[in-house]
Amino acid sequence: MTALRLQNVSKRFGGVVAAENVTIDVLPGRITGLIGPNGAGKTTIVNLISGMLSLTSGSIHFGERDIASTGADEIARMGFARTFQNIRLFKEASVIDNLLIGFHKVQQSSLMSNIVGTPSARAETYDIRARAHALLDRFEMGHFADFPAGSLSYGHQRRVEMMRALAADPAVLLLDEPVAGMNDVEAGELGDIFLDVARSGIAVLLIEHNIRFVTNLCEQIFVLDYGRVIASGPPEIVVTDPKVIAAYLGS
Amino acid sequence: MMLDFFTAYRPLFDVFLLHTGYALGQYIVLRAGVFSVANAGLAAIGAYLAAGLTLKLGIHPYVSLAAAMLAGMAFSLLLSWPLARLRGVYQAIATLAFVQVVLSLNIFAERVTGGAMGMNGIPKVVGTWTLLFFAVVTIYIVTAISATRLGRAFDAIRQDEAVAVSLGVSVRFYQSVAFAISGAIAGLFGGLEAFHGYALEPNQFGFAFLVAGLSYVVLGGRRSVIGPVVGTAILVALPELARPLAEYRMLVYGLLLMLVINYLPRGVVDTFIEMLHRRRMAARQGSGAGGKS
Repeated sequence: MTALRLQNVSKRFGGVVAAENVTIDVLPGRITGLIGPNGAGKTTIVNLISGMLSLTSGSIHFGERDIASTGADEIARMGFARTFQNIRLFKEASVIDNLLIGFHKVQQSSLMSNIVGTPSARAETYDIRARAHALLDRFEMGHFADFPAGSLSYGHQRRVEMMRALAADPAVLLLDEPVAGMNDVEAGELGDIFLDVARSGIAVLLIEHNIRFVTNLCEQIFVLDYGRVIASGPPEIVVTDPKVIAAYLGS
Repeated sequence: MMLDFFTAYRPLFDVFLLHTGYALGQYIVLRAGVFSVANAGLAAIGAYLAAGLTLKLGIHPYVSLAAAMLAGMAFSLLLSWPLARLRGVYQAIATLAFVQVVLSLNIFAERVTGGAMGMNGIPKVVGTWTLLFFAVVTIYIVTAISATRLGRAFDAIRQDEAVAVSLGVSVRFYQSVAFAISGAIAGLFGGLEAFHGYALEPNQFGFAFLVAGLSYVVLGGRRSVIGPVVGTAILVALPELARPLAEYRMLVYGLLLMLVINYLPRGVVDTFIEMLHRRRMAARQGSGAGGKS
């Protein structure tokens, strides 16, 4: 399994510095936390890693490869998956259709076989449909398969987005505030899922501003404030850091 | 009796088959989230090329048809290159400009296209059965695409480009594919139209044609493949069923479109399918609290 490494990453929007000299390591098999107050630049980091924004300077390595100037779709095909801060499902499409598109990057069928509808192309669809149903069952949502995704409760929509990201067995999973707006019980349930995911060997980067939630799950935490990493380390060390306390509570 | 009926309405049926092709060509680009109206221009290229090759160079009509299809595809792909940077209404405007260029060329390149006089004496080698064959093949292909990863990539791009990209879908690649397929269909049916009448005139593929192609899809529905086919059937049959309306075809189209966009924004077929689906889901929930399917 491959590690993800951001080195001296900076991003400026005109005069606004969204990230400055950020160095973060995300290791496989565990959850790495990235926390910070609102506007600290957390989502910018996710967008930089997933290729939706280009860096101003610095480098992002996935294993040996520098992916800083790689296109977002290609980064996804390399094994990156993400969720969005404001859930972005295909709301009118059914839950199962939302999941099917998650398998896009692992499908092999050629363009021509798709256009003429060869038996192998159809068999592939049949196959990923079965895998999507298995995924739904694993998340105990099998009976929601045919519902429009937009009709589900908030918590369930979060789960569907999570499943869609997991569909193609990613190597790196970027979670942008995945439990925002959830109560402690729902968040706890999802937290257990994240731990399971990480234990299966995936490198998980968890963005949150709820410190308590992150400290329960992560072995390593990076704290971002005004685009800079102001502290990093194991949770028990980070939460007692005076700079972190000042950033969260105001000095 | 049945035979009489068919003979009487055969020309109308032919128009329906031709326009089903145009509707599906339009449908494919819209499905991939491209707001292109280039198909009128591409159909014109196909028609004039096919007619010209056979009339002036004596090439076999079926070879000319293949050339029309390839030309439609090639021009569409060329067009997709600069259009990749544009979105939504800007794509519509740019492709509209392309159509205008093609139409102007039809009129001004007199030696090749016959100018305002158009082209005459084209051999009529395409009949109802040929049209039916190509319409069925087109419907088949468009349906096949819907059921595979290609169709799902189109759907993802149309609904949310950023999400599609985050799932590994290359917007540029798939929109080019949509352009290519759509252009091939438009070019082919343009060629078919050339060999179906005896003549071509520059206005045949003008603004009315462009609006019709869009109307079929909007009226019928943009999601299911049946949608554009039903939309075509309704709009082709309507002026004939109500003869006095025939002269006000454009007016009727406009009114109908406004009504549909306001009251059935998904189109006739998709609204109907949605209704059935909702009823089924409600029934399932009623019996056994949403038991496992």
